[in-house]
Amino acid sequence: MAGVLFAATLVSIYTTGAQEVKELPGERDSGEIRADVITIDTLAFFGDLERPEVVFFHDLHTDALEKKDKDCLACHLSENDRLSLKFKRLKDTSRQEVMDIYHADCMACHKEMSGAGERTGPIEICGECHRDKAKAMSARQPMGFDKSLHFRHSEATKDKEPDKDRCELCHHEYDEKTKKLFYAKEREGSCRYCHMEETEEKRISMRLASHLSCIDCHRKTLAKNEAKALAKNKIAGPVKCSGCHDLNKQKMIKKVKDVPRIRRKQPDAVLIRANGQETEKQRLATKMNPVPLDHKAHEEYNDTCRVCHHASLDSCSKRCHTVAGTKQGEDVKLERAMHQIGTNKSCLGCHESNQREKRCAGCHAFMEKGRKQGTDTCLKCHMESLQVSTEVEQKPEALASMLLESRRAITDTYKDKDIPEKVIIGELFYEYEPVQFPHRKIIDSLVEKIKDDKLANYFHGEKGTICQACHHNSPVAKKPPRCVSCHGKPFDEKNLLRPGLKAAYHQQCMGCHKEMGIEKPKPTGCTDCHKVAGTSRLYD
Amino acid sequence: MAVSRRKFLGWMGAAGLSTAFGRPAYAAKKHFKGHPDSFGILYDSMLCIGCRKCEAGCNIVNDLPVPDRPFDDLSVLDSKRRTDPKAYMVINRYDHIETVKGPLYRRIGCNHCLEPACASSCFVRAYTKTKTGAVTYDASVCVGCRYCMIACPFDIPTFEYDKVLAPRIRKCTMCYPRLIQGKLPGCVLACPKEALSFGKRTGLIKIARERIRKYPDRYVDHVYGEHEMGGTSWLYLSGVPFKELGMREDLGITPAPELTKGALGAVPLVVGLWPVLLTGIYAMSKRKERIAREEREKAVATALDQAKAGAESRLSEALARAEKDKQAAIEKEVKKALEKAAETQTEEGA
Amino acid sequence: MSEEATTASKSFFAAFGHAAEELVKTLVKTFLSPFGIVAGIIVILGLILTVLRFTGGLAAVTNLSDYNAWGIWIGFDLLTGVALAAGGFVTSAAVYIFGMKKYHSAIRPAVLTGFLGYALVVAALHYDVGRPWRLPYPFIMQQGTTSVLFEVGACVALYLAVLFLEFCPAALEWLGLKKVRNLAVRLTMVLTIFGVILSTLHQSSLGALFLIAPSKLHPLWYSSYLPVFFFVSSIIAGLSMVIFESTLSYRYFAHKMDEEHMNERDGVVLGFGKAASFVLAGYFAIKVIGISAENEWYLLGTPYGIWFLVELLGFVALPCFLYAVGVRDRSPKLIKWAAAWSVLGVVINRLNVSVIAFNWHLPSADRYFPHWMEIAISIFLVTAGIIAFRVIVTMMPIFYEHPDYKDAH
Repeated sequence: MAGVLFAATLVSIYTTGAQEVKELPGERDSGEIRADVITIDTLAFFGDLERPEVVFFHDLHTDALEKKDKDCLACHLSENDRLSLKFKRLKDTSRQEVMDIYHADCMACHKEMSGAGERTGPIEICGECHRDKAKAMSARQPMGFDKSLHFRHSEATKDKEPDKDRCELCHHEYDEKTKKLFYAKEREGSCRYCHMEETEEKRISMRLASHLSCIDCHRKTLAKNEAKALAKNKIAGPVKCSGCHDLNKQKMIKKVKDVPRIRRKQPDAVLIRANGQETEKQRLATKMNPVPLDHKAHEEYNDTCRVCHHASLDSCSKRCHTVAGTKQGEDVKLERAMHQIGTNKSCLGCHESNQREKRCAGCHAFMEKGRKQGTDTCLKCHMESLQVSTEVEQKPEALASMLLESRRAITDTYKDKDIPEKVIIGELFYEYEPVQFPHRKIIDSLVEKIKDDKLANYFHGEKGTICQACHHNSPVAKKPPRCVSCHGKPFDEKNLLRPGLKAAYHQQCMGCHKEMGIEKPKPTGCTDCHKVAGTSRLYD
Repeated sequence: MAVSRRKFLGWMGAAGLSTAFGRPAYAAKKHFKGHPDSFGILYDSMLCIGCRKCEAGCNIVNDLPVPDRPFDDLSVLDSKRRTDPKAYMVINRYDHIETVKGPLYRRIGCNHCLEPACASSCFVRAYTKTKTGAVTYDASVCVGCRYCMIACPFDIPTFEYDKVLAPRIRKCTMCYPRLIQGKLPGCVLACPKEALSFGKRTGLIKIARERIRKYPDRYVDHVYGEHEMGGTSWLYLSGVPFKELGMREDLGITPAPELTKGALGAVPLVVGLWPVLLTGIYAMSKRKERIAREEREKAVATALDQAKAGAESRLSEALARAEKDKQAAIEKEVKKALEKAAETQTEEGA
Repeated sequence: MSEEATTASKSFFAAFGHAAEELVKTLVKTFLSPFGIVAGIIVILGLILTVLRFTGGLAAVTNLSDYNAWGIWIGFDLLTGVALAAGGFVTSAAVYIFGMKKYHSAIRPAVLTGFLGYALVVAALHYDVGRPWRLPYPFIMQQGTTSVLFEVGACVALYLAVLFLEFCPAALEWLGLKKVRNLAVRLTMVLTIFGVILSTLHQSSLGALFLIAPSKLHPLWYSSYLPVFFFVSSIIAGLSMVIFESTLSYRYFAHKMDEEHMNERDGVVLGFGKAASFVLAGYFAIKVIGISAENEWYLLGTPYGIWFLVELLGFVALPCFLYAVGVRDRSPKLIKWAAAWSVLGVVINRLNVSVIAFNWHLPSADRYFPHWMEIAISIFLVTAGIIAFRVIVTMMPIFYEHPDYKDAH
């Protein structure tokens, strides 16, 4: 019977799959991390895959071919003078044909190299390409243009005529009627406005488009440079995966400081208002103040146009973010598009993220996230309209410029005589002497740090705003309340969220120092701020 | 011992009924949320600067011996420490946490659980969960068995192994003697930043939740100690996952006493049922013996009878034979005598 | 005092005097033998370490720490000791409750092993606990009834008393106190039942002690069935110890064994071996069920998992198999090896639960390994037990029936 029980246990172990003892999660060795990992799963288009996808290292192969003085054409066919991104074919015809191409051509080269005694890839064994567990993980970083890179490209294409832009080399639109690509001047935008994540019917994916345009052009330029025996100082862009997609290589891309403004006849000032404001009737019907935007200045604040113009260069509310919201705009109403915190696409979102800069964070880190501001703050952007002529009103740009010019953006504080130079903080007296607090110096330093920031200056225009950093939860005044007016004994049940006086001091000072990255005085440097006193009745 | 079947079944039934109707060893699942108005302490690791003033305060208030290295020696934080008989509470520093710049700190000390494992495990009730929320230890009854150290999921109680006559367990008392005088615990008083907030536990949870709400980017959305091990009086906030601060996140929410409720509940069951079972088995084995004995006796008796019967028949046969022989012999003798007489007669006649 | 009483008390004291003389003689003889010399050294060392323990505290003789509060004094002396002393209740249950009279001769040795085992457990406790003079506190001061340890303490204390009373008849026979002895013998049935109840309770509760620390015991060993595992394995330990002890006793004390004992010996080995095989199989099954219930199969591939499989397959499944083969082939020799192996398995299991798989998640700097002095004291206690066993077996009617009470049952 013992034997029967034993056998039964073995059977139950087998049936419950215990012999498939798996490793604990998180223990697997992921091996290498590379930027050039391509997963070949072309046949998935034709149905279920029989074997695991092939993990292919593109740069490895490019390097190997380079050593043999071979280039892209060794594997990629060309059509109409453009390289096909597919391997040794122009179209995916049938499952069998595609599979044969891969097998025959990959292995042919490997066999050749192996015959010559060189280190090469797998030959006959299926599982060496079609691996269950990948040997490497992809570290491909997405790549995109910013102002600097765009400028370098536009300069580079001006070879023949130094002052003539050759935007048509890259920028195009598609004509539905003629079914052809054409260049539309002054309508240039980001490739991503049309080329999406996935290939659609008449539109290739961004990935295909960028590789076709960018790599091919780089390849040709490289060939031309070599043909002209030009030295390395006339470089072209990368042709290898890692050149664009490797994190370290990305960091090495030269950045041009002070990029001149892109010439696309874009407006200097824009009046942001809801859609449907073209006719006067419509304008009269809406009550909301429009918002003037200094478009020229904002172009300088961002690295690409796509930060705000994330889907097209049109006005936000033209087709997508209407007041009511549309399906195309993913039901994001205009209000949200303008005010949503947490994303740089919206005005408020980007402004709010600016508050996280060190010079702002000392005060702003302690303001509740997503707090409701007073409605008079809205008027800062939704400016009361000036009395203007109808002529100006009909030209929104002119109106916007006028509103912008009427703004006053200076961080203002009280005069020195109204700001105490030193404040003696001596309300608590347990272990340490009173603090000789350099009051005016701190205010001056705060003001100094933000004096060239337009955003800060505009919102801190009112005197006494800066004082609110420490003299908070009180009305703006020339003589704001002292800490001890509100902070006393800690742990008051009726005011759960209010720290006691000692904590109010330390949280305020140390918190600000930490957020602003001020290392001296250290938070643990007690005597840096107050000398040790003789007594301690703290625990009585 | 002869037990009739009826009696035996009766006993079994009685035992079963008594266990069914008797008061069960554990009540239906109740969740103890702490004594009402009990206190707690909220430790906010995002406010803590690792100055160790709390350790100093604890040391002063509890009359602990002066440590080898003074409390303002922050290089002590270079290595990780745990509670020991001279330090009821320690601060540890954690560097190189991915998402934050600069080190974070963490307090280690008794968490004064709502349903403490130490109190549940102590077989002399040396621990008491007081109404203030503090879990106190009474050294005057402690035997030094150290089961509480096994039981505590946070590994807090520390034992004075080097003492011979009076080794005690040492741990944070939440300054219970001060609490009942209306004073604040030493660590709380000492902290310059109110990284340690004191108050009613329910209030502290409100404060913690409010801090998380106001600064969602700063805090992890979890108040450690709200539910862990059934809830603790010390609550923790952190800006990084708690396990990066060395705090165990796998403790679950079951309070410790519930883990042993089942085993303890089985005790009266065994005490009630085993005598019946064992007596029953004994009775059955005795009965088997008796029946076996009776059968044996019966078999012996039958065998004896058979033997007797056999012997008797053989005897009667032998007797019959003997009788026959005797008769034959008598006849033979008679015949002989007659022949002899006849012979003699013939002799005389001649 | 009446004359009768004086004579009675005189004979009482005479009996004791006689007994004391015999005890001293046996002790001297024991220590002069080769075994005695080695044992003597161990005892002397043990006594020195005892002084150290009670002058320097636990820190002076142990590697116990705040993370590892229980070491081998609990893990081996207490947990294993109690498990291996389970032969007493198993044997008396088999004979008196289940009516298996053919094992009758095994009772006294088993009860003696049990009694000495529990006595040593209590002795070890005096070393381990911080204030041993306070051990009665849970009974006389405050009762911590929420604690499994309270239940363990109460049951062990009561059971020690039960074992003492079960052992009494042999001692009383030796002392020649007939009336008291007869009284003691009448208690046998009640004591046996009481003993089984108490044993069930405390054997399982020793396992239940660890239920309160699921975060510290490796999941393969932690289970809500821990009490059941400990109880069943204690039966295995008891059965195996009786066989093991019978083997050793035959080797050294055969000259003390009477006819009944000799005749029944092989029967005991075969019968207990058969029982052990069954119980081991059942234990194996419930252990597997325990893993299955928590779906912990994946842990079996980890290092601790391999160790668990060694314990389960090598020290549960294997002896089960060996027992079965030994019974089938009627080979007492194989059964004796299986018994020794089984005993080792129970030791390993108790050590696993208390010190090896306990605190498994801590870094190795915080893990525990016993101090040599802890090991030495454990050996000392076991040696003391063996000496006591030897002395008692030499003097008292354990392996034979006292001539005055030959037909007492």
